Amino acid sequence: MNAAVGRDAVLLGFLAAVIGAVTLVVGLVRRRPGALRNGVVYAGLLLLAAVVAAAAMEHGLLTHDFSLTYVAQNNSRETPLLFTVTGMWSALEGSILLWALILSGYIAAMAWRFRRRAEDPVVGWATVTCFVVAAFFFGLMLGPANPFHTGPVPPDGLGPNPLLQDHPLVAFHPPLLYLGFVGFTIPFSFAVAALATGRLGEGWLVETRRWTLFAWGLLTVGIVLGAWWSYQVLGWGGFWAWDPVENASFLPWLCGTAYLHSVMTQERRGLLRVWNLSLLVATFSLTILGTFLTRSGVLESVHSFSQSTLGPIILGFFGLVVSVGIGLIAWRGDRLRSPGSIDAPVSREGAFLVNNLLFAGFALVVLLGTVFPLLSEAVRGQQVSVGRPYFDTMARPIGLALLFFMAVAPVLPWRKAGGELLRSRLQWPAWAGTLVVVGCVAAGIRGLAALLAFGLGAFAGTSALRQLVLSTGSARRRGMPLWTGLVGRANGGMIVHLGVVLIAVALSASLSFGHRGQVRLAPGQQTRFAGHTLTYLGTRGVLHPNRRELEAAVRVDGGAVYRPAVSQFGSAAEGIGTPSVASGLTSDVYLTLDTPPEGATVGGGPGPSIVNGQPGTAPAGPTAGPGPAGAAVIGVVVQPMVAWLWIGGAVMALGTVIAALPERRRRAARGTRLEQPTSVGAETPVTGPEPAPVVVRAGGS
Amino acid sequence: MHRRWLSWIVLAVVLAVALAIGSGTRPGSATVSQRVDRIARDVRCPSCSGLSVAESDAPTAMAVRQLITDRVKAGRSDSSIETELVHSYGSGILLRPPAGGVAAVVWVVPLVAAAAAAVGLVVVFRRRRLRAGPASTVSEEDRALVEQALG
Repeated sequence: MNAAVGRDAVLLGFLAAVIGAVTLVVGLVRRRPGALRNGVVYAGLLLLAAVVAAAAMEHGLLTHDFSLTYVAQNNSRETPLLFTVTGMWSALEGSILLWALILSGYIAAMAWRFRRRAEDPVVGWATVTCFVVAAFFFGLMLGPANPFHTGPVPPDGLGPNPLLQDHPLVAFHPPLLYLGFVGFTIPFSFAVAALATGRLGEGWLVETRRWTLFAWGLLTVGIVLGAWWSYQVLGWGGFWAWDPVENASFLPWLCGTAYLHSVMTQERRGLLRVWNLSLLVATFSLTILGTFLTRSGVLESVHSFSQSTLGPIILGFFGLVVSVGIGLIAWRGDRLRSPGSIDAPVSREGAFLVNNLLFAGFALVVLLGTVFPLLSEAVRGQQVSVGRPYFDTMARPIGLALLFFMAVAPVLPWRKAGGELLRSRLQWPAWAGTLVVVGCVAAGIRGLAALLAFGLGAFAGTSALRQLVLSTGSARRRGMPLWTGLVGRANGGMIVHLGVVLIAVALSASLSFGHRGQVRLAPGQQTRFAGHTLTYLGTRGVLHPNRRELEAAVRVDGGAVYRPAVSQFGSAAEGIGTPSVASGLTSDVYLTLDTPPEGATVGGGPGPSIVNGQPGTAPAGPTAGPGPAGAAVIGVVVQPMVAWLWIGGAVMALGTVIAALPERRRRAARGTRLEQPTSVGAETPVTGPEPAPVVVRAGGS
Repeated sequence: MHRRWLSWIVLAVVLAVALAIGSGTRPGSATVSQRVDRIARDVRCPSCSGLSVAESDAPTAMAVRQLITDRVKAGRSDSSIETELVHSYGSGILLRPPAGGVAAVVWVVPLVAAAAAAVGLVVVFRRRRLRAGPASTVSEEDRALVEQALG
């Protein structure tokens, strides 16, 4: 039943998109306003179809309908409710369905929002573009990525990938990321529509500003949550690996960020028109390229949960998007000439230009590093890895330069800035930056990259604060309440800048001053590691419906007890490490159970082997010779300021919301130095009673 | 004039001194574990994806780390250790693409792009200035015309 309903709904969605697009094109070409008014009807049908298809899939998952191949592969009778629901985006076909659902939601919202102007050709062409994109994704579900494929009914399903049923964040990260990705379809459609109609005034920019901001904000939150998920689940203590799939989400973010800045130059001065359109085309096409990288299994990565024959089709669509975008821009090139020019390099628009070149350069570096191994292997059969050392080397100078311009640009006026003005406006931020560097050096912090990051962070942060204080102050003098004075685009932007500064400083601190190692401890033993006291209390087995877990109890700094664990899901051969993090504002202590005590078992079965959360890793044996009876090897990563990454992400989200709220008035205006993991046993336990027997309690918690 | 600049000169000096002290490396050559760490960060864990052997605790990564430690202790140079690893695991083992051969593309292209962008910026702004320039210098003929019209 689920299969039939789902398939019919997908077919309905596909037909609604295709017929909608054809009807509108006919209406546009033959100038029939009546036909254009039907756009909202087709958009409604599309949304209905997507909701029914998604509901059929969720119903299939919740009722464990294993006649659906997708359900049989991504659900089992033991899967907890939360991960049953999130099963919809645990693999390829369901992810495409989620994409189609979100896209339909955006299209319906857009068609409803502009329903009174449906006869306007710009709205018409934008809707056509949306329908074509929707037809592509619904078409995928009719053919190569059919989520409602049926097969023989197994007694029980396989369950989701263990990594995808280990943390509740999996319920938030993918949908938010998709809301961000897919949201860029709307500004892209309006850009195409503006080019198609030749009406390239600033109107369409203003119309799509909030849509772009909404998509960008959700993409930002999605990326930060992804980093958090990776930190909480993958077990290596990091949050960003420059994995191709992470890069795939970062690329549209970079282009979108560049666009949000340069579009102000166009609104204000009518400049950079071709560039802005190119950025919108690039942002949208990079979301498609991201889908290709994620969903075709073309690049080896920790995210390649799904592999398919989909690659060439998505790549073809990517090519279509890029060529249509470039073709349209070239065709309308004569109408895109800017009425004015940038008068002086030292001006707000000059700073935006440099900002955009930096973001574009950043995107180029990330794109190059991500696809080069693929190209090299395809063209020359030569294996090349491009990993963290490359990206860190390239990203560091670009990041520092961005911090610098983030401090300078907000104080610059439009058109031209005099030296005197710059000197007086930048005086306090510059001194704040200098004093932070002096303070850090006095506190014994060494390393040029980290010091520059901290100093420039303070420079940029103070500059943003200065703007906030000035603008809320002037609003107050005019009798406005504080909140009313705070909301609006410029202040929201400055709050986003503060969030970015927090993330930059936290990144630099955690990457530069982390400690990493392993300690072998017998129950009751205690040791010191990187300034923290760790006491190993013992290990016990815990049975959950969907997994068997072996958890170690470790007391951190004499306070709370943290429980890193190794879990074995269903019949999976490999155990999955579940880290436990003692998180604090100054530093995080990240614990993993690397080698359980010998003989420790879960639920009476053989002890699981550990793979440290990395799929495709061979099961680990004991990492050293036999130690004291009952000793466990605990992996420890101590990194400063990690919590500020998440706080920075929240500040960025807050700033985005404030920037999107309507304004009352129109105003004029990261180095890596992780210590080498000590070999097992090198961190000698300093104190502690005689090793006691391991507490292994099977079953029950 | 000097007054206005004084605070900035003091700032520049303070900053330069602080950075000079702060960027100083610790005296003495790198210890074995520092060298091992530096090499390990550039070597890919053979069995996991994308992580370096410095980050991963997979057994294969531990084996490579042990090998690096042994070679460093034996006094081998960084490059000879990397050559040995490439010999055993293939060129994909290094996470930092080599600066020679085809892989140099990933290093060269961003540099070329940066240079092109810098040159582009300079050219654009200079052209603007030149274009703005002649407008301010008025030829004698123009003056004569204006005087004639006014007179």
